[in-house]
Amino acid sequence: MKNGMKLTALLMALVMTLCACGTKGNESTASAAPGTSTEAPGKSTEAPATTAAEKTGPDDSKNVKIGVLVSDVTSAEALAFRAYYEEYIQKQYNVTFMYSDELADAAAEASAIDNFIANNCKAIISFASADRPAQIETCESNGVYYAVATGTLTDEQYETYKNYKYYVGAIGPDLMTEYMAGYDMAKYYLDQGFTKFGMFGGATPYYTEMHIYRAAGMLVAMCEAGKGTYLGASDMGGMIGAIYGAGCQLTPAKIGSVELCGYVGGYDFDDAWFGKLAAVANDPNVEVLLAVGSGQTAFAGFKQASQKLGDIDCYTADSVKLMESGTLNYLAGKFSASIGPIFMAVLSAVQGHPIRNAEGNAFAIGQGYWVATSAEEAKEYYAVDSSKTEPAYTRNMLDKLYNASYSDFEAFVKAYSFEEIKGLAK
Amino acid sequence: MENEKKIRKENVKAAVFRFAPLGGLILLFGIFMALAVIKDINIPYSFKNIVNQSVVVVVAATGAVFIYTLGSFDISLGASLCVSALIGAMAYNATKSLPVMLLTCVGVAVLISLTSSVLASVFNLPVFVTTIAMLSLLSALALVLIGANGTGDVIQVPAAAVRGINNVWFKLIILAVYLGMCVFLFDFMKLGRREKFQGGNPVCAKLTGLNGKRLAIAAFAIAGVGVGLGAFLTITYAPTLSRNTASSVGMDIIISIVFGGMPVSGGARSKIYSAVIGALSMTMLNQIMLALSLDSGVGQIVKAIIFLLVVSISMSNSKGNILPR
Amino acid sequence: MTRTVEIKNMSKRFGPTVALDNVSFEAHGGEILGLIGENGSGKSTATSIFAGMQRCDSGEMLFEGKAWSPVSMTDALNKGVGMIVQESGTVAGISVAENIFLGETKDFRKGLFIDRKRMIEEAQKALDGIGADHIRADAVTGTLDFQDRKLTEIAKVMVKAPRVLVVDETTTALSQKGRDIIYTIMNRMKEEGKTVIFISHDLDEIMEKCDRLTVLRDGKIIRTFEKNEFDPDAIRTSMIGREIEGSYYRADYGEETGKEIVLRAEGLCLGDQLKDLSFELHAGEILGVGGLSHCGMHTLGKVLFGAEKAEKGSFTVKGKAVRNEAEAMRLGIGYVAKDRDTESLCTEASIKDNIAVAGLDRFAVKNFLILPGKEKQYVNEQVQALSIKCRNADQYVSALSGGNKQKVAFGKWTGRRSEILILDCPTRGVDIGVKQAMYRLMDRIRKEGRSVLLISEELAELIGMSDRLLIMKDGRLEKEFKRDPELTEADVIRCMI
Repeated sequence: MKNGMKLTALLMALVMTLCACGTKGNESTASAAPGTSTEAPGKSTEAPATTAAEKTGPDDSKNVKIGVLVSDVTSAEALAFRAYYEEYIQKQYNVTFMYSDELADAAAEASAIDNFIANNCKAIISFASADRPAQIETCESNGVYYAVATGTLTDEQYETYKNYKYYVGAIGPDLMTEYMAGYDMAKYYLDQGFTKFGMFGGATPYYTEMHIYRAAGMLVAMCEAGKGTYLGASDMGGMIGAIYGAGCQLTPAKIGSVELCGYVGGYDFDDAWFGKLAAVANDPNVEVLLAVGSGQTAFAGFKQASQKLGDIDCYTADSVKLMESGTLNYLAGKFSASIGPIFMAVLSAVQGHPIRNAEGNAFAIGQGYWVATSAEEAKEYYAVDSSKTEPAYTRNMLDKLYNASYSDFEAFVKAYSFEEIKGLAK
Repeated sequence: MENEKKIRKENVKAAVFRFAPLGGLILLFGIFMALAVIKDINIPYSFKNIVNQSVVVVVAATGAVFIYTLGSFDISLGASLCVSALIGAMAYNATKSLPVMLLTCVGVAVLISLTSSVLASVFNLPVFVTTIAMLSLLSALALVLIGANGTGDVIQVPAAAVRGINNVWFKLIILAVYLGMCVFLFDFMKLGRREKFQGGNPVCAKLTGLNGKRLAIAAFAIAGVGVGLGAFLTITYAPTLSRNTASSVGMDIIISIVFGGMPVSGGARSKIYSAVIGALSMTMLNQIMLALSLDSGVGQIVKAIIFLLVVSISMSNSKGNILPR
Repeated sequence: MTRTVEIKNMSKRFGPTVALDNVSFEAHGGEILGLIGENGSGKSTATSIFAGMQRCDSGEMLFEGKAWSPVSMTDALNKGVGMIVQESGTVAGISVAENIFLGETKDFRKGLFIDRKRMIEEAQKALDGIGADHIRADAVTGTLDFQDRKLTEIAKVMVKAPRVLVVDETTTALSQKGRDIIYTIMNRMKEEGKTVIFISHDLDEIMEKCDRLTVLRDGKIIRTFEKNEFDPDAIRTSMIGREIEGSYYRADYGEETGKEIVLRAEGLCLGDQLKDLSFELHAGEILGVGGLSHCGMHTLGKVLFGAEKAEKGSFTVKGKAVRNEAEAMRLGIGYVAKDRDTESLCTEASIKDNIAVAGLDRFAVKNFLILPGKEKQYVNEQVQALSIKCRNADQYVSALSGGNKQKVAFGKWTGRRSEILILDCPTRGVDIGVKQAMYRLMDRIRKEGRSVLLISEELAELIGMSDRLLIMKDGRLEKEFKRDPELTEADVIRCMI
């Protein structure tokens, strides 16, 4: 009898959970392991009445399912991107986004893609990079369009896949942009006369290129200002080679008249990791804390009032507050709508209008960051970036990219600064 | 007459409980098929998908049943699979031979398993204690291997090299051969009977002439073969290996085995098919939740509730029908 | 006399098994009521329901004239009904005091903490009160032997001063000292006008201690005997529903055992359990080993099966040394341990699993392949030969009665046709029907030229069954008796104490 009651209770909990989700699923967000989840559109009244017959923009008469591969589902950046797709794009266009769960490795990516294909997704936009070649190959062999958001392929990969029919292309900061983001941030402080730095290297120890290039940019800026070398290198090529040569393990060092007083890498999130970060921040010599990413998580809690903090991340309510309080002084941030053009390129391709470059190949277009050095700037950027009705790239702006020529498309993407986008909107 | 009726009823009840996990799988399959029709799901691709997503866990968990039967567990199976795959990939890159890769994967996994069980035997510790130590060791080893032999963050086997064997039939053949071997060992050889008895009551097993340490070593060796095959299949499915490769496999194995109706304490009620049924059920459940557009958080809650349900049913069965003396 | 316990038309089923079928009986203040019956007759079920361990399907219970339906054993104990069960009812990892006051620690709360000192003092008083002053209340329960754990449990019940006490087959596992403690408690309760319900398989004991005796069989009340009606044969007949055919123990005297020495022990030493022990076991012989519970005889059984290592001395089986259990089995030794549920059986496995596991090498094809048909045949032969009462061989051992469990434990070794059977308290907690079957089995083994080492705390069976009887005291061999119709328990007890 008791067992019966327990089982009944469990069954009731199950039914209630399923009922609750049924409602939720119809309303908005969804995702499921090891892959994916669909987003029910719910846009019958909101979707513009554009039809295939008008031929002036995307065909909204038929729903298009698009899979989104995300390796990190909880970072502020990932959440901001997701909000743009789900809370703006999905309400504007007749599309359904299926999101993957967090993808730990290449096998999880492969499973998620298989799930998208089984659920008849017509395209996949990827924010995951464990095995991009495998992703592209799978999509090509299954006739599913594939695009890279907020990233790029390596030159070698691009050469291999550029003429694949279903490879749409990539938009995002290329490695040079990453390098310059780090260089510019360090130079901003060096120009103000600061010479003692503490650094958070993010995923550098895990050989993540994006972070290695940002770190290299910072170190080269220090070499130039301090007239010294780090690991025997002082220019971009040499510094990147030196970092790889050191097994991507950086250490504090004097760089001429500049000094890297402390360094922490990795994302251990354990007591020892936080202890190391605190030690770097508590070093009385350190004037400036620089982070290749997640600097607000790593350093904001430990930073002394007199220290400066620079970070490469994204615009969130928290980062604006930190800028207002003076905790954060420099933020090179991705803006969430930056993934709008790649969506339009994918939609255009799915609806029979692929955008190819001058050689007829998939495109690879660089896109950079919005840099804020004051609270006012940050507030202004965030207001646009977080808007669910008037984001940086609105439907009106994106519609112009539908079936656009490559040159128009490239020009639009490359005009990514805040001011340029304001101009495009007008 | 009435008593005979009762006995028949009890036998039917026992059979229902015995086949409940299989019934659950069939039910999930039915739900999935219904959803597939309603939601316009690509059914052939989904079947391929289900095989791809479950085969590694099925193979590794089938071997692990031998460990769980002893009432023990191995927390390092996922890490072992990762290291075996990494070394297997390195072996391929060095020799360009798939058979060498296969043998290396299996050899390394068996070696790791044997190390855990032999160390436990030498130091007279419960085996799961050494597997905890092994987990840390293997995680560190994975980092060293990747750092020393790969491009820095990954070790890759050229996708073209494994494309030919990355198909459902090849995977099913490997699964069938290994499953057949395990069924034979478990149900038709002395080893299986002894493992079950050892798990049910180690004290009595000792006083029946069974050598617990030897049985543990044998169980871990068999599980090692499964982990090695799982490592090989992981490479064929996703030939880019990182420190995170198979990071969820350890937990998936535990969940699958229990989900398949295996008692958590091992013993005589252990079933070799638990892993197959459990892993397929979990994958099927994932597919259903995907088709139902469930949020991943909610999906986890649903899975947790079903998990509790399965364990409750299996425990209520094992506690029933027992006279006080 | 007042009726303190009244059970009316009680029924209880366990699946298809009818444990109680419309059972009614009563017990009075100032009396000791005996309950007797074969294993599975329902006596434990009825009393455990009254003591709150489980619920009945139908029927009525009254305690001191009022409707009685305790929700748990603790509830029953707090209201005046205590029960001491056969199997261990203590928690090993905590202290004796904590066991005695398990669930009652709030009585010793001092602010946020427990006043351990006071709890230990009170527990010691409880132990002293029942005459178990040799047990320290602060000792970890797991370090105590079976008897002292049982005495702890008794103290736990008696500290609540119950008005009804159920003693369920507790005495069979205890030494004379332990038994005396229980008898004293029972007699004191009787004198104080309280009620004792005493369950035992020991007919002599139950006839001596009880004022009335109720016999159960197959879940039904068969008859209640008043003191003046007590007659062993009549009671036995009521219990098993027929007259016991032939003699209970061996009837032969003066039969020669085989000349061949199958087991020879020389100078065995192990701590204070075995001290320079030497003896021989012959083919076709039943060699009894007796003594007080802690005399070392149980350890001897384990050492001879290779489960424990002697520190000094040696023993050989047919000239070969035995180093472990597997070797012992290969040399033809079988061992039925004293602690049936822990050491002899895997209760959460089927009858088939238990019997087959010891005989795999007997029926496996080419010594490795198990064919279900052969296994079934092997197991069913033992089930039939030993008359194990079960639905089928797939039934779990946990669902069997004590006697049938013991038969399964025997079946493990009889199936192998073990040449030497070491039986440690083989008839503990089994009814006379099963006992008789086991004695016949031992006799058959002897007649087939195989040997039995019978370790027992029951002198009657040692005297009745053994060709020779070794009495141990403090680990040493105190005396050897030859089979003799004139040998009495008194002769043997003199050597034991």
